[in-house]
Amino acid sequence: MSLSADRTDFGAAQRARALADLMVLDTPDEQAFDDLVFVAAKACDVPIALITLLDTDRQWFKAKYGLEVCETEIEHSVCRIEIDQGDLLEIVDLTNDARTKRNPLVTGARHFRAYAGAPLVLRSGAIVGRLCVIDTVPRPKGLSEMEKAMLQALARLASENLELRRIATASERLTALQTALVEIGETIRSSHDTAEMASATAAIVGRALSADRAGFGSVNEDVDTIDVETDWTAPGAVSIAGRHRLDEYGNLREPLVVGDPLVVWDALTDDRTLHNLESAMRVGVRSLVDMPVRDRGKTIAVFFVHSAHPRPWPAEEISFLRSAADRLEAGVARHRTEQQQLIVNGEIAHRLKNMLTMVQAIASQTLRSVTDREAVYAFERRLMALSAAHDALLQRSWTQADLQAVAATVIDAIGFSDRVDMSGPAVALGPRAALSFSLIVHELLTNACKYGALTSDDGHVSLSWDVEVGQDDDLLRVKWRERGGPPVVPPTRRGFGSKLINIGLVGTGGVDVRFEPAGLTADLHASMRHLVQG
Amino acid sequence: MVKPVVLVVEDEPLLRLFATDMIEEAGFEVLQAPNASAALMTLEERLDVRVVFTDVNMPGGIDGIMLAICIRRRWPTIQIIITSGRPWPVEAVVPADVVFFAKPYRQDRVLDTVRKMAA
Repeated sequence: MSLSADRTDFGAAQRARALADLMVLDTPDEQAFDDLVFVAAKACDVPIALITLLDTDRQWFKAKYGLEVCETEIEHSVCRIEIDQGDLLEIVDLTNDARTKRNPLVTGARHFRAYAGAPLVLRSGAIVGRLCVIDTVPRPKGLSEMEKAMLQALARLASENLELRRIATASERLTALQTALVEIGETIRSSHDTAEMASATAAIVGRALSADRAGFGSVNEDVDTIDVETDWTAPGAVSIAGRHRLDEYGNLREPLVVGDPLVVWDALTDDRTLHNLESAMRVGVRSLVDMPVRDRGKTIAVFFVHSAHPRPWPAEEISFLRSAADRLEAGVARHRTEQQQLIVNGEIAHRLKNMLTMVQAIASQTLRSVTDREAVYAFERRLMALSAAHDALLQRSWTQADLQAVAATVIDAIGFSDRVDMSGPAVALGPRAALSFSLIVHELLTNACKYGALTSDDGHVSLSWDVEVGQDDDLLRVKWRERGGPPVVPPTRRGFGSKLINIGLVGTGGVDVRFEPAGLTADLHASMRHLVQG
Repeated sequence: MVKPVVLVVEDEPLLRLFATDMIEEAGFEVLQAPNASAALMTLEERLDVRVVFTDVNMPGGIDGIMLAICIRRRWPTIQIIITSGRPWPVEAVVPADVVFFAKPYRQDRVLDTVRKMAA
């Protein structure tokens, strides 16, 4: 007795899970199933044929011929009789069978008299319902062997169709989940704020799974409390932002501690939640997945998805959640590394600046007796030009600097921003090119202040650059043009400044300085490949 | 004629010496403090300080920005110049009229500012 009760319970649980997996309940009519019941009715020469699916509290008809209702209470179901035996059930006179003679479908206006139903058995072995034929007059001889064989063949076709339908639906779902994963990846990549990453991921996951709530919460060392900062909620669902004790919701801790997902597909039947339903019901959680997020072997956070209805959480949804949590984990780790890198960069920059100031102090002390103060100031300004290049490099974590930013900081340090026009596309310089460029701009500018265009009030400098696209490599061309200064006289000797300029952007020349009467011009060029190198 | 008094606050001895020399040579009397609390003690004793030239990052808990806020509250007439090797913290709330110089700074510009403030 207890054995058969167990078997029935098992069958019911397996059926409920299989039905949820099929995702077929309450879906619209489909021709393939309609055709099957039509053929069944004609093959067995009866007025009514149904594809019945046995839900927990009702029987629902995926297809019906000769009947207008789409479901009845489970208590009125003839199909459920002996369902777990997996055999064809035939009752030749429903009024004469103890199990059916008081059934309202038999006693009432429906006037059911004879019944035969073949089980719908899925590939997994789960029995989800029957394809049945019903007559409104008794059929004392029952169905012929041929009719029974046809009914069973049609039931196998119906089962197979349910499977194929499930696979098609699952594949659509899978595509949708993959699209959501791509979206999550992009969101995380473009975000520089961990809270923003988490809430955007939660929203995408929540929508993709049609959940009622999704979010991210950090857990404490012992994994017994969870702090939810923000969560995504479907319309009508309440937020659970705040601190929660896990034991308020049941015995949920164990899988999370070791890094396994906690999956509860129905809080009302799950042993771990059954005895602590109050908290879960208050926030409308009937079904949930908690996916642990790990860091260095410990669970540091949980990505959760809640549903107000029981859900089977198929494997593809669990692995989707795993991937989403992994991506979030990687995004958070990347962000943390970036933050640390920023701090380290700032510290290096600070020390470097102090060191340059120290050099300035030593030089200033050493050169106290030098009467040519201009020379001392020239030294100081070269130092500042170097410092300016480091500032520009720091903005891009020491890997590259924007050409315009380098020029602008140098020019600003000397104080002629209003007299120098700059124009050109964004060009990234490597650290060495950035330092060379800053010194060259500094020397050109110093020269313009001492001898060139900037000695007169109307004088002007234009600094422009462009990139010439080549077959193998692109070429950067920089043009320095002075206008409106006094007539240009070529210098008689070359100072250190002009030597510095002639080294060029990448240390190999590529410099053409002309002392045109109207104003000095300098053309610099270098290959982009060399410019971006460290 | 009495020279105007400038207080230099800097924890790095060489930089303190450099700043002191630079400002002294420009014709000021210079007092020195290696940190913010020493600076406050000096200010309590010497009521003739006109300008404070301070670094930002210094040991001892109070940094140059907090020192500036403190000075502005207690001695509203004292002028303040701040210098730092770090970029200016955008979010820092500082009293109005405080002038900032990034390190390394141009001596002529710092001196121009000191002269203007002491005038």
